[in-house]
Amino acid sequence: MGEKSEYKIVCENISKTFIQKGTQQVHVLEDISVSVKENEFVVILGPGQSGKSTLLRIIAGLETPTTGRVILDGQEVSGPGPDRGLVFQSYMLFPWKTVLGNVEIGPKLRGVPKEERRETAQHYINLVGLDGFEKHYPHQLSGGMKQRVGIARAYANQPEVMLLDEPFGQLDAQTRYFMEKEIVRIWEAEKRTVLFVTNNIDEAIYVGDRIISLKGKLPGKMHEVYKVELPRPREHTDMKFLQLRHEITEASELTL
Amino acid sequence: MSTVANEIQMVVKEKRPLSLKIVLKNQWFLYTVSIVAFFLVWDYAATTDVLKGGLARPYQVLLQSISMITDRLAGLSLWGHIWASTQRILIGFAVAAVVAVPLGLLMALNPYINAVVKPVFDLFKPMPPIAWISISILWFGIGETSKVFIIVIGTFVPCLLNSYNGVRLIEPQLYDVVRVLGGNRRDEILQVCFPAAFPAIFAGLQISLSIAWTCVLAAELVSSRSGLGFIIFQGMTLSKPAMVLSGMILIALVAWLTTLLVTGLEKLLCPWKREVVGL
Repeated sequence: MGEKSEYKIVCENISKTFIQKGTQQVHVLEDISVSVKENEFVVILGPGQSGKSTLLRIIAGLETPTTGRVILDGQEVSGPGPDRGLVFQSYMLFPWKTVLGNVEIGPKLRGVPKEERRETAQHYINLVGLDGFEKHYPHQLSGGMKQRVGIARAYANQPEVMLLDEPFGQLDAQTRYFMEKEIVRIWEAEKRTVLFVTNNIDEAIYVGDRIISLKGKLPGKMHEVYKVELPRPREHTDMKFLQLRHEITEASELTL
Repeated sequence: MSTVANEIQMVVKEKRPLSLKIVLKNQWFLYTVSIVAFFLVWDYAATTDVLKGGLARPYQVLLQSISMITDRLAGLSLWGHIWASTQRILIGFAVAAVVAVPLGLLMALNPYINAVVKPVFDLFKPMPPIAWISISILWFGIGETSKVFIIVIGTFVPCLLNSYNGVRLIEPQLYDVVRVLGGNRRDEILQVCFPAAFPAIFAGLQISLSIAWTCVLAAELVSSRSGLGFIIFQGMTLSKPAMVLSGMILIALVAWLTTLLVTGLEKLLCPWKREVVGL
C-alpha cells in the first residue's frame, strides 16, 4: 500500500447502517473515503443528521463500520485505543474527579506511575490555560473551561490522533470564537493529526487545513473537499475567508 | 469588585431604619412566631381539654421525658430504650445494605443475574414491610430477630432499587471515555460505575433509614419490652398521653439525628455532590 507512508489515517469506503427495533434499518453513512496526513487539521463539516459524529466514533473504534475500514499507520482499526483521543460535545468529564484527576485518568488507566502522570497532567493543564484550577471540580467550571479539561484529558493520554466531536457546540457564540482560537494555539504548540467535526462553516474555515463537507440528510455522503490556504492566525473578516465562506455556503445550501 | 459591593451593602443597611414593616417581613421573626403559636395552640387545647384527657401540656411532655431518664421503665432508662431501638435499626439496616446494595449493582451489571433475581424481587417489592410482622413473629418469636427481620425486609427494597437504577441511569458516553483512553471492562466498572452510582446508593440509604424507623416502631408496638415504640405503647396502656407524646417526639428526634449521620457521611464520601444537590 503506497498510502501507508503518506497518510496517517485512511478511511476506505465507509458505510454504516444501524438496525433499530430488530428490523428497521437506518443508513447513516454511505461510501465515505477520507485520508488525513500526519499533523494535518482536517474538519468534517456537515449539517445535523449527516452522520458526521458516527464517522468520528467509527474512527475512534467505538462503532464498527458496516462496510469499509479505517486504517491507522497501515494497521486496520479494530477497536478503541490510546493512539486516538476523543473530545466529546457534552464534555463527559467525571464529576467526582477534580480537574487534575480528570486529566490524569488516561495515563492512570495505562499504569503510568503517579509522579510521572501528575507531571504530564500538569503540563497539559498549563497548555490549555487552566493552571490554578487543578483542585476544582467540573461543576465549579464554566462550559469553556470544562471543554479545556476535555481537551487536556485527551492530550494527556499522548494520542497521535485527536478526534473532536463538535467540541464547542454547547458554548455561547463569544466563548466559541475564543475557544476556536485556543484550539489552534494548542494544536500549533503540540501538533497532532486532528479530525474536527462541526456544523459551523465559520468555525471550519477558521481552524481547518482542509474541510471535507458531507451532504445531509441521512445517509451522509461525501460532498466537497476544500483546501484552506489562509495563513494563521486567520481573520473572520479577511477577503479570502469571506470568499471561501460564500463558496461553501452556496454549495451546501443546495444539499439542504 | 467584592469590596465595592460590600461598601454599597453597608450604606444601604445604615440607611434603613428599623420599622415594624421590616420586622414583620423578617423570616427569623416569622419562624419564631410560627413555633410559638404552635406551642400556644397546643397548650390551649390541652388546658381546655378538647380531646377529653387525651392531650398533655407541652411542659408535662418535657417533664415526662426528663423523668424517664432516671425512672426506669421495664428495667431500662430512657437511654436504654433509645439504644434498644437504635440497635435494631443499625443491625437491620447494615444487613440490608451489605446484601442489597451489591446485589443491585450486580443485577445492573450482569443481565443473567438480573434475569434470575428480578422476577422474584418484583414479586415481593409491592408488599408493605409491616405485612411481614405476624409471619416473622411466627418464624422467629417475639425476640430481637423478628424485629431486625422486619427492618431488613423494609430497607432491602430501596437499597437494591437505588443501587440498581444508579448504575442503569449512567450516561453511556462516560464508559466511552474510559474505552477511548485505553481502559477495559474492569476500569469501566471501577472508574465509572461505582463512583457514578454512589449518590443514588446514598439516596437509597436515606430512604431506607426512614423506612427502618417506621418498621422498628411497628414491630415494637406489636410486641416488645424495650424501645421507643414500647414507651408509646406503655403510655397508651397506662393512659398517659404525656408518655405517648414524649415517645413520639423522641422517635422523631433520634430518626432526624441518624439521617444527619448518613447525610454527613455522604458529604464526606462524595464532596463533588455538595453543591450540585444543594442540601
